[in-house]
Amino acid sequence: MFKEFFIKELGAALQRPMLYIFILMMTLFGALMVIFGETIGSTGNEYANSPHTITGIIAAFSLLSLLISTAFFNNAALRDFKYGFNEILFTSPIHKFGYYFGRFSGALLLSTIPLLGIYLGFMIGAIIGPLSGQIDAERIGAFHFETLLNSYFLFIFPNMFIAGTIIFAMATKWKNTIISFLGTILIIVVNSISGTLTSDLDNETIGALIDMFGTDAFSIDTKYSTPSEKNSQGALFGGLLLLNRIIWMVVGSIILALSYFSFSFINKNQKVKKTKQVDTSNSAIKMSRPGVIGVFNLKTSISQFKSFFAINFYSIVRSNLFKILFVISAVILTVSLWGGFEYFGLQSYPVTYKMMDVINGIVGLFVLIVLVFFSGELVWRDRDSHINGVIDGTPHSSLISLLAKTISLICVGVCLNVFFIVAAIIYQLLNGYTNIELGVYLQDFIYKALPMYVIWSSIFVFLQVIINNKYIGYFISILLIFLLDILMAIFEFRSNMINIGSSPSYTYSDMNGFGAELYASNWFNFYWVLFAVLLLVFAGLIWVRGTTFGLKNRLKSAKKHLTPKYAFGLAIISILWIGTASFVYYNTQVLNSYESSDKREADQIRYEKELKKYDGIAQPKITSATYKIDIFPEKRNFLAKSGLILTNETSEIIDSLHFIVDAGWEMKLHLKNAKIVFEDKDLGYLIYQLNTPLVPNEKVALVVEAAHISKGFENNVSNSFVAENGTFINNFAILPSIGYSDAYELGDKQKRKKNDLPVKERMPKLQAECGKSCHVNYLSNGTSDWINVETYISTSSDQIAIAPGTLLEESSENGRNYYHYKVDHKSQNFFNFMSARFEVARKKWNGIDIEVYYDKAHKYNVDMMTAAVEKSLKYYIDNFGPYFHKQARIVEFPRYSTFAQAFPGTMPYSESFGFITNLEDEDDNNVIDAVIAHEMAHQWWAHQVVGATMQGATMFSESFAEYSSLMVMKHSVNDDIKMKNFLKYDYDRYLKGRSFEQKKELPLYKVENQQYIHYGKGSVLLYALQDYIGEDKVNNAMKSFLNEYRYVKPPYPTSLDFLRHLDTQIPDSLKYLVTDWFKEITLYDYRLKEANYTELANGKYEISLAVEAYKIKADTIGKESKVEFDDWVDIGVYADEDEKELMYHKRVKFNENEMNFKFEVDSLPTKAAIDPRRILIERNIKDNVKKVSKKE
Amino acid sequence: MATLKINNLSKTYANGVKALDDINIELSNGMFGLLGPNGAGKSSLMRTLATLQEADSGTAFLDDIDIFKDPTELRKVLGYLPQEFGVYPQITAYQLLDHMAILKGIVNGKERKQLVEYLLQKVNLFSKRHQKVKGFSGGMKQRVGIAQALIGNPKLIIVDEPTAGLDPGERNRFHNLLADVAEDVIIILSTHIVDDVTELCSNMAIMNTGKMVYQGTPQNVISELNGKVWQKIIERNEVNEYKTNYTVISDKMVAGKPLIHVLSESNPGDGFESIAPTLEDVFFSKINISEKASV
Repeated sequence: MFKEFFIKELGAALQRPMLYIFILMMTLFGALMVIFGETIGSTGNEYANSPHTITGIIAAFSLLSLLISTAFFNNAALRDFKYGFNEILFTSPIHKFGYYFGRFSGALLLSTIPLLGIYLGFMIGAIIGPLSGQIDAERIGAFHFETLLNSYFLFIFPNMFIAGTIIFAMATKWKNTIISFLGTILIIVVNSISGTLTSDLDNETIGALIDMFGTDAFSIDTKYSTPSEKNSQGALFGGLLLLNRIIWMVVGSIILALSYFSFSFINKNQKVKKTKQVDTSNSAIKMSRPGVIGVFNLKTSISQFKSFFAINFYSIVRSNLFKILFVISAVILTVSLWGGFEYFGLQSYPVTYKMMDVINGIVGLFVLIVLVFFSGELVWRDRDSHINGVIDGTPHSSLISLLAKTISLICVGVCLNVFFIVAAIIYQLLNGYTNIELGVYLQDFIYKALPMYVIWSSIFVFLQVIINNKYIGYFISILLIFLLDILMAIFEFRSNMINIGSSPSYTYSDMNGFGAELYASNWFNFYWVLFAVLLLVFAGLIWVRGTTFGLKNRLKSAKKHLTPKYAFGLAIISILWIGTASFVYYNTQVLNSYESSDKREADQIRYEKELKKYDGIAQPKITSATYKIDIFPEKRNFLAKSGLILTNETSEIIDSLHFIVDAGWEMKLHLKNAKIVFEDKDLGYLIYQLNTPLVPNEKVALVVEAAHISKGFENNVSNSFVAENGTFINNFAILPSIGYSDAYELGDKQKRKKNDLPVKERMPKLQAECGKSCHVNYLSNGTSDWINVETYISTSSDQIAIAPGTLLEESSENGRNYYHYKVDHKSQNFFNFMSARFEVARKKWNGIDIEVYYDKAHKYNVDMMTAAVEKSLKYYIDNFGPYFHKQARIVEFPRYSTFAQAFPGTMPYSESFGFITNLEDEDDNNVIDAVIAHEMAHQWWAHQVVGATMQGATMFSESFAEYSSLMVMKHSVNDDIKMKNFLKYDYDRYLKGRSFEQKKELPLYKVENQQYIHYGKGSVLLYALQDYIGEDKVNNAMKSFLNEYRYVKPPYPTSLDFLRHLDTQIPDSLKYLVTDWFKEITLYDYRLKEANYTELANGKYEISLAVEAYKIKADTIGKESKVEFDDWVDIGVYADEDEKELMYHKRVKFNENEMNFKFEVDSLPTKAAIDPRRILIERNIKDNVKKVSKKE
Repeated sequence: MATLKINNLSKTYANGVKALDDINIELSNGMFGLLGPNGAGKSSLMRTLATLQEADSGTAFLDDIDIFKDPTELRKVLGYLPQEFGVYPQITAYQLLDHMAILKGIVNGKERKQLVEYLLQKVNLFSKRHQKVKGFSGGMKQRVGIAQALIGNPKLIIVDEPTAGLDPGERNRFHNLLADVAEDVIIILSTHIVDDVTELCSNMAIMNTGKMVYQGTPQNVISELNGKVWQKIIERNEVNEYKTNYTVISDKMVAGKPLIHVLSESNPGDGFESIAPTLEDVFFSKINISEKASV
């Protein structure tokens, strides 16, 4: 019996196109993922078809294939009921077991098939890809059958099983498609809960286990996997993933069992309503028939529209599904907000833009999926209710019905969205945040969500009408949501006019509001709304009225519907749309053009091939600069006139000057006694021949005019840093580069190979005898060294303009403010020019002006910021040497970027970076201290000494700054465990970062500007170093290094120079650390196998630990090898369960793989640990800790 | 007085089935019964007249409205109750009729309220007007169906198999309703229940395999068979034998034995007795003969 139903289930599906369409699409997608792997997929060291990538894609697609499984399981559960066959079937002698499980298993097997298409696609792609030339053969790895097997049994099968049990159980229980859909939504919700949890380092394990599809468990299991591991293995039967799979398979089985036992052939759920049969035929009042005759005019159409709308919208609102959607929305929102806005374990204030980001994040996916579902329901509503015959026969225009359905759909979105906004406001109030900006919410809704609902609702309705099959319509709609952006990326369509519904996406900033994007965004929205209306009007023509089958027939009858009036309307909308399109096109392609990435690539290739010959020719350096800046914020115009003195500091005679100007800025160069001998406008390359060549030490004056003038609107705002409130431009933007610079060369390894360009190193190799290459530092790239700079800067009367240096003069005239700044000490030519409506907080400390320029909405942490500046100044002056500026400024800028940067004495911070972090709880990590101290440290590390442009250079700017800020923090918290809690983010940053390394992981002293190394690993290692050799020793090494190189003319130092200074501070017994930590990639793998105690006669406790230890060296792609070792490692015990109180620890020698240690403590500890303060780099530290138990 | 003229109407489905084969009808006010077995093409004809399906060839005019060229004009004067009449979930009888009334152009709220209430009275559902239609019995649903078909003074009312599945009481009530309005409009009623036609229709047609096999008044067609129908009760194993020897127009079971009707110009003897022909005999004779002819 089981077999019959099972086979029948398969057979039925095999005869219909749905299965094949799904497989085809998955295969196509898989193939595209490989073929265009370099554009969209993984790049660098991981193969485009690596087991890890395949597994990841298959896991991620579980969510999309929910729709597939919904279709199959829903069909299996409800087919007999739908066709009224149940009564015949259930009265025949079949067994419940065979029926139930036959159907279920059939649907289960069917649901798992389409996802196999992805694997097939990857295989096809791996063959076609290299042939098509889209991807290099080098990027294709071998296939492992194991990947298919493991991903099938770890993802495809279990995921379809779990989703299937829920959908099938709900479908058999309630016999209603809508309820099955609810099951689907439920799954999505659970999935998003786990997603939110996983994003937080503290909850990731729980998150990984809750995730129904195992995607999160997989990413956590493999988050520290090296590229080499990713290329050889996908998912494994082990770790969190296996645990997750077991948990969910059990849950699924329980659901299935419950459903099976409650399922019965006898229909229990049928409600028989007792209807009182009251025959009132005789008592009815005889009324005469009102002689009402239908009237047909515009008023009728409006009434018809209203009635259609009411009846469609009413039945959605009345449905339980709709109510449940609100419950689900509330759950999603609660979950999204559960962790608050976490940053390094801290909370941000729930400012409006944070709430809007959350809402837009949810509605962008959740509401769209809801709309997809209701689009099908609404379009099919008349037919599903079998009322289409009656409705279709009435004298209304199909367009009216269609419009009413679409608007009902839009209203569903609007209702949910309003709910989210109200909930968000409640959340803000509950958190004690009372600055409720209702207007901002409303505007954001009108600018972003509403057009999205209008556009997508129309498109979904259009798709349902034209495809005329509900499920395929759903699938295509969902595919469109998910894949459109990917397809656009593949084909490099960048215009928002091609990507459905897209518009320049604005970022709301408390400082700058909706920004320059808003104007463009509104025009694009208008363009897309008109397009959507056009689609609807077209759909109105081919709408199935009565029984017209086949697209051909429908097009035929469409002709009949195209009355002159209809055609006129169509024409009007078309003209409006074309007009808008032309205007948008004119603004985004003519008035403001942008380069296609192909064009840019071609230019880069030409640049290198034709001009590389000029690389390294003698050029003068900038030796002094005066900037004249005029900012017109309200027009978003930025005018700069820079007066530069160039000096020939070489020993050669220079007869021509080479410049590269930026196409984004209108740049004019004024050079006396010189003429242009070469100009390539596409490349921006200019060569001036000097009438009299420049002899060594001779100077020449250069004036550079640069302007950013805003015109109309752009496809995407190209320069959001020129803002109405919150302009932030640095000097590199407004100056040409001098001489050939390899920074403009094509960087991508594969593309270089394809275009016959030689292999390019990310950075010059670290050399001890570096000669000429040490004359260039990585900040100014050889164009200047330590120079004096002055700035004259003006802005509108309501704003303050800021540039580095002491403010010498300030005046206002003609409705503008003028400022004159001068830097107090020669500095690197690395300057910022800012303007906004600022509030200012000032404080004086030892003759230094501490100033914070902030937006009036962000006053929370200003005092703490000044205190942090003070703390850092104190530590750095004491430990590293004097501060050479008379001011230390913190300046806020809009959150278009999330970073902080140090210019001489002036440090811009993004508004989302510290200004809104809630620091009321003093026990938490003080992030403000950390980020302020980091940028302050750059005033020493980068602005007093800067590395030569070669490997290792960022070690003594970024790693040192990170270390310095850790030291400030260490002295302020004075708690090892708190430091451990903060440092875990640095460990995570390093270990995750190396997992995604694109080229080579390098040891710290050869870091090639890799952030995960110079921030993550650098801070961890230097922190460990001061623990091993002492803080004073490390500081001494840094100080003596700084003393040698502070503000010294080239050659600039390298990381080897620092190691030379460090060497004198390190005892011989610990010299191995320099090799292990700085010069090689070393990881440790420790495990605490046993931890026991025995109570001693003297009342003390003897703790004995059994330890397993390995030391690992990794190569550049993460291939590991175990090595011999003889290392000092801490062991210790915690008093408490939470590992907060470290009661004892000591440093012991690890030199064997298996070892035992004993020590005595005064009281009974709870847990024992290896490396209890976590100062060594280990991938898995969970097995380092164990509860101590009494010795048997 | 409205007239419906159908000329040379044909329709062949994609699978080759000839649903309509050169249909010609001319009708005026009154009830027109369309008889035919399942699959005869009745519903195709009705859907085509209700503008819900397109014909391959032929024309149809209601007075001067060209139904195929100008479906919207026809829809303004059309009342249609399809064979399958479902309703939206959640919607009450009143809401449904109100919606339909608006669709049929009754825009004035007061007039519409009067009309909807009148119709609800008329179909005897006034007391249940605020209940969800979804929960109604088959007969009540059909009454809602006819009520909506009556909205807005239609000139042409098409009802497709309205009595299928109704109990005798419901069926009677339904007939009364139709008879009430039949004087002023053309009503086309399709059915496979012969009695529906006998009881209601002044004009009728019999359809089989897409063709009109008879058209006229029920009286005329019955009188054609006067003295030609004979009946006999036979044994079950004799049925085939009789079928080869006589023109058997129908056989049905009476008290467990087959009662056959045969068509014969003269007395076939052999125990047959003469009976007065009924419409049912006409129906079966027309159909069985047309089937034989088409073989």
